[in-house]
Amino acid sequence: MYQDPFSRCHPAVNFCFFLAVIGFGVVVQHPAYAAASLTCGCVYYLLLRGRQGLSFLFGLTGIMLAITLLNPLLNTSGRHILFRLLGRPYTLEALCYGGILAVIFALTFVWFGCYSQVLTSDKFTALFGNLIPAISLLLVMVLRQIPAFTRKAKQISLARGAIGKGTGENQPFRQRLQSGVGILSALTDWALEGSIVTADSMRCRGYGCARRTNFSLYRMTGRDVLLLACIGGLSLVVMLAGGMEASYTPNLYISYISYGFAAYCLLLLIPPVMYLRERILWNRFKFET
Amino acid sequence: MKQSPWLNILFLFVLIPATLFLGRSIPGRWYYLTSTLVIVEIMVPFFVSFERRRPEARELVIVGVMAALAAASRVAFAVMPYLKVITGIIMITGIAFGPQAGFLTGAIAAFASNFFFGQGPWTPWQMFAYGFAGFWAGLVFHGHPSWRKPWVLGLFGFFSILLLVGPMLDSCTVFTVLPKLSLANVLLIYGQGVPVNTIHGLGCGLTLLVLTKPLLQKLSRIQRKYGILEDRQ
Repeated sequence: MYQDPFSRCHPAVNFCFFLAVIGFGVVVQHPAYAAASLTCGCVYYLLLRGRQGLSFLFGLTGIMLAITLLNPLLNTSGRHILFRLLGRPYTLEALCYGGILAVIFALTFVWFGCYSQVLTSDKFTALFGNLIPAISLLLVMVLRQIPAFTRKAKQISLARGAIGKGTGENQPFRQRLQSGVGILSALTDWALEGSIVTADSMRCRGYGCARRTNFSLYRMTGRDVLLLACIGGLSLVVMLAGGMEASYTPNLYISYISYGFAAYCLLLLIPPVMYLRERILWNRFKFET
Repeated sequence: MKQSPWLNILFLFVLIPATLFLGRSIPGRWYYLTSTLVIVEIMVPFFVSFERRRPEARELVIVGVMAALAAASRVAFAVMPYLKVITGIIMITGIAFGPQAGFLTGAIAAFASNFFFGQGPWTPWQMFAYGFAGFWAGLVFHGHPSWRKPWVLGLFGFFSILLLVGPMLDSCTVFTVLPKLSLANVLLIYGQGVPVNTIHGLGCGLTLLVLTKPLLQKLSRIQRKYGILEDRQ
């Protein structure tokens, strides 16, 4: 499976990046910052998901429009009244504020979408496995068991159907409920007995005797350290530079952007730029040989 | 096993007020990030005390199985998609194994199932709300087997969801979507949540009504057969 270069970095790099980007994205209300974050997020999301990502982004556009238009109905302060709806003023400032809220809403969703693609569960446990060994083991087990139980539940319901105990949409409520309880109770018995076998087998193999090891191995390389330093440094610059203030209601006020904005854009562009760099190098090698 | 209460005290009385105090200085919608941080800080002591206990493999596995069952239970009731069973199963785990196991089961079930349905700003809130459901049910019923009458449990489930767990889930919307925290807006969001919470509560109450007896029997059988998750002194 192809992974983009940012996903191949150490999980700590991925985690810190998303922490910084989502943290800034949620707090900063300056339109330029929010727009930059949303744009970079969408670009990276499309790079990760390809054409499949488009439908998600289109879906978001609808929600964004709804948030923008609905906000002036909730929030009526502002000086420039566009028109009155049922006696309540519908103001320009509130409309702008709704727009920025919609952008922030969308950028959280897009960046969380990227997060789900990049920081998969095995990376999460690799990162936190030695800090919270018991809980990350629990998480690994649950992540394996959810699909396994789902499969088993389907098997049980098929088997019940084969002996004439199946359920359909047209049956009365009571019968459907009983069938659900039956499936769940069979599943529980199977799962609990299985869990004891798992636990005993874990103990026999020396669970808890030594440090946890991980399925995927990640090593901190020089590139990872450099990236971590970049993320930390750029975040610090963004925070110190200021120029992120903006308020919307009752008066529209947007401060001038400073050099912090450039740092913010650089921070956001790390994954797309890494992707592009790899593509360019690859194409150059292809043509040279 | 003895546990020092200092960590919990540090979190509850020092870190959370500090977060609230410092969080207010964030310009704009300060409550967005601050509320999420506070929720995470409330959960940390639970996880830390579980880690400190060095749980045995059998305890871990049982909690894991219950969390996975809760998350996978929607398949069993696929013909009734509006019936939400997950909170009911988490509550039953809390009743059987106590508040701490209930909290863990709920929080892990929410976190793990979000790996399938997508993580988002709602993840900490769901973890907390579901964990609280298990904790709360365990707190009330764990030490009192005689209270576990089906209709009591059903009513308990319904009202717990409607009045406590549902509003906790709605709080995520309040803090992340609202442009301004005003009483009217907040009440609007909670008011909109009432129908959803009623359905959720009915599902949970119904689950507790029907499932508690068979599930508790199975769990206590396992518990007695293998001697797990008993209170270790």
